Amino acid sequence: MNKLIASLRIFVSGAWLAYIGLFRWTEPASYVASKVVMPLSQILFFTFLGVSATGRQTAEFYIVGNALQVAAINGIYGVTMTVGRERNEGTLIYLIGSPANRLVVFMGRATFNILDGMLAVVLGFMWGVLLLGLDLSTANLAGLSLTILVTTASTCGLGLLMGSVSLVALNVMFINNTVYFLLLLFSGANIPLATLPAWMQTVSAALPLTRGIRAGRLFVRGASLADVWPLLVGELAVGLAYALVGFVLFSWFETQARRRGPLEAF
Amino acid sequence: MRRLRVVWTVFYLYLKQISVDWFVIFTVIVQPLIVALLALYMLRDTEGFQAIFVIVGSAMTGLWSGTLFFSSFNIEFERWTGNLENIVGSPTHLATVIVGKTLANTTMSLSSMVLGYSLAALLFNFQLTIAYPFLFFISLLLTVLALISLGLVIAPLMATNPGATVWANALEFPVYIVGGFLFPVLLLPIWTTPISYALSPYWAARALHATSSGGVPLSDVLLSWVMLIVFSVAYWFISAWLFSVLLRRAREEATLGMQ
Repeated sequence: MNKLIASLRIFVSGAWLAYIGLFRWTEPASYVASKVVMPLSQILFFTFLGVSATGRQTAEFYIVGNALQVAAINGIYGVTMTVGRERNEGTLIYLIGSPANRLVVFMGRATFNILDGMLAVVLGFMWGVLLLGLDLSTANLAGLSLTILVTTASTCGLGLLMGSVSLVALNVMFINNTVYFLLLLFSGANIPLATLPAWMQTVSAALPLTRGIRAGRLFVRGASLADVWPLLVGELAVGLAYALVGFVLFSWFETQARRRGPLEAF
Repeated sequence: MRRLRVVWTVFYLYLKQISVDWFVIFTVIVQPLIVALLALYMLRDTEGFQAIFVIVGSAMTGLWSGTLFFSSFNIEFERWTGNLENIVGSPTHLATVIVGKTLANTTMSLSSMVLGYSLAALLFNFQLTIAYPFLFFISLLLTVLALISLGLVIAPLMATNPGATVWANALEFPVYIVGGFLFPVLLLPIWTTPISYALSPYWAARALHATSSGGVPLSDVLLSWVMLIVFSVAYWFISAWLFSVLLRRAREEATLGMQ
């Protein structure tokens, strides 16, 4: 019982401190700039670009796609930073030296990013309604909420993998930035997947966000959970697969670090 | 002559340094290429589609992002690496050094236009022709001049207000929007038009689009050129004042190296 309580304490306090300290939210202005203004301007840019191509009647397609894409800011940047910056800040050696349960420590890094990512997506939809005239009157809001949770969690799964890579990569921000922008291309946020070449559709099927965005669009049109649940299960499975690979890599790097001592050598 | 030598030396050394910097490579090459791909897929079936419009527009995103991010950290980077006091203490004016760095940044950012052009030509087999090559070249020169001038305003502005650098991220996409890089600003609410007019990237995009896509009267191109020159001159005056404020504060408060 004591072990369980200790693990729970590590999970919550570790997750919170890592989120605040390593994702750099000690300055409120930094949060507003990166989590409010930047996503809003990105939604506006891609919606106007899409509308210029296909007309105002298609605005919903771009608003929903890009509002859900905002989840990747937390999923990719947030989670990677809360895992990878342990090395930059010189605290990785203490983390590895502690007796804390590794799975609890690792998964905990995603917790507050999921909550914060969900808030960012909700804010994205709010901008869509207030500024771009998104109509949610016929939407299945419960289904949409579930989609936001599942999509944010699945992008955090990818983030956990990227975070593990960042423990050994020299410049993970380059990889992060590239992955984030490639998601804009491959996830279907801005381009209908059917219009992409076959190889791009195959890649997009293996990525988080793809099914989440499709589910989101269906729920905005009022679809029921019975129709959409396979997409949500698929989205969750993709995210879990990435998280699992991330944890395996994290454990392998730790074993290598203990065996060969290159913990902070990269 | 001595100033020109300093500008050239800084330009050459800094260009070598940033050409292997992964953040710079992402900002001026990878990101504009992905934006170009996105825009090509999104716009290719529209009526009157011109691939050159997308190439020029996405290159403008790279030019603006490069100007914004690198200028924001031009002076800050010297502060972080402990070189700022040495540069300020040397007989060369700080602004001269920053001119060389900004020139290197803009040169690097221009590579996105060449790569975007190659991408559209090779990957999509688009016929890419510049409607008025000579006028386009002049527009490009004036664009570079205007962006360097704008960079010389951003650098001391961010250095005198270190907290402002957090806003660099947030200012990237808004200028893509009001700059009319990839879609006409007519799509935007009318109240945003004065904001577009007040930004040199808007006039740069307007001049480059007009001379590359064609179909616009010469008077419109001339207006954009005049605006680019007016903005460049104004930015130089503002920049000179900001540099003097930065250096005066440094002497009065002795905070030059403080982060």
